[in-house]
Amino acid sequence: MTQDACQRYLEDPEANGAHLVVCAKCRAEAAALAAKANVKPLSMDVNALPLAPWEGSSHRPWPLVLTLSVIVVAIALALCDAAGMSPLHVAEGSLASMEAIRGLLNSAASSLRQAPIGFQVAFGVAFLIVNALLIVLLRRAPRGIDA
Amino acid sequence: MRRMLRLFLPLTIVAASLVTAMVAAPSDSGLHVPLAVADATAMMQKTAVIATLLAVWMFAAIALTLLSGREIRYSSIEMRASALHCFALGLVAVTSFALTAIVFSYLIPYGVGVPLLFALGVFAILTKIYGTIAVFHAIGMLVAGSRTREQLARRNWLRGDLAMVVIGVIVLGAIRLIPIVGPIIWALASVFGIGTALATKFGRREPWFLAWKPSLS
Repeated sequence: MTQDACQRYLEDPEANGAHLVVCAKCRAEAAALAAKANVKPLSMDVNALPLAPWEGSSHRPWPLVLTLSVIVVAIALALCDAAGMSPLHVAEGSLASMEAIRGLLNSAASSLRQAPIGFQVAFGVAFLIVNALLIVLLRRAPRGIDA
Repeated sequence: MRRMLRLFLPLTIVAASLVTAMVAAPSDSGLHVPLAVADATAMMQKTAVIATLLAVWMFAAIALTLLSGREIRYSSIEMRASALHCFALGLVAVTSFALTAIVFSYLIPYGVGVPLLFALGVFAILTKIYGTIAVFHAIGMLVAGSRTREQLARRNWLRGDLAMVVIGVIVLGAIRLIPIVGPIIWALASVFGIGTALATKFGRREPWFLAWKPSLS
């Protein structure tokens, strides 16, 4: 190990802590210093701590995911085949339901236009109250991890 | 409790199958013959549509979890930490979306309605998709999540955000297949999801509105 790396470690042991892994001489010196200072490691059982939500969360079990996806797709295709329809029909059905929602909105808006002025004012007040309530609820900070 | 949760998925699938069979079977005759061919066909088509949409949800959930797994996890945690707030916010948000859509439709003759309605529609659809996937994650964590570190270390497959989301899709999808009850539970899950998505600002955990404080000079 180079003298430069040892020097850097001696100057700032915390920043260059990884140096101990590769340098036996510095490791021995650090161990001797720790023994001399009578420093005891913290008696903490990590396994006794509750499981944090992020632990193991980045694991990606592709065999499980692919198997379940293939099963779901196979069931969907089999049911579509048995019902005599193609998946394209489902997409068309979804678009048709969007059209129905649009028609409903248009009819509601035209009814509102033709309604008496009192009803229009009441609708406007309800609109303002609901959106004010939404803003009030949105102002609350999420608890989540701190809970 | 844990055993009950472990049995939840197979029991849900069995219950869904039983209720589907009971609804499909005629109530007045003893034989398990559908009332008419048209009824059986309609029911089969309905089930096929649900299963196809479930497959689409599965791919959307996998894609979104791969893109922003941490945000989905934050939203899922928030939903479990303050469920009532998320549900209340979801109900108010759905009502607000409906009323705002009517107001924007009212404004269509004045020229500004169409772009506003389009923006609201895109926002509402994105909120629903994100929120429902967060619900999938929460359900997956409830049903199949690890409780201890040893359990997590033992598992090869049932760990990680992606697995939890997929399990959630399967469980909620199985529930969705139950006639009458399924759509209601799915709608409630959507309300929960919309509330969670908005409460956590899509998992970013940032405030929606900046607080104004006068500078002390």
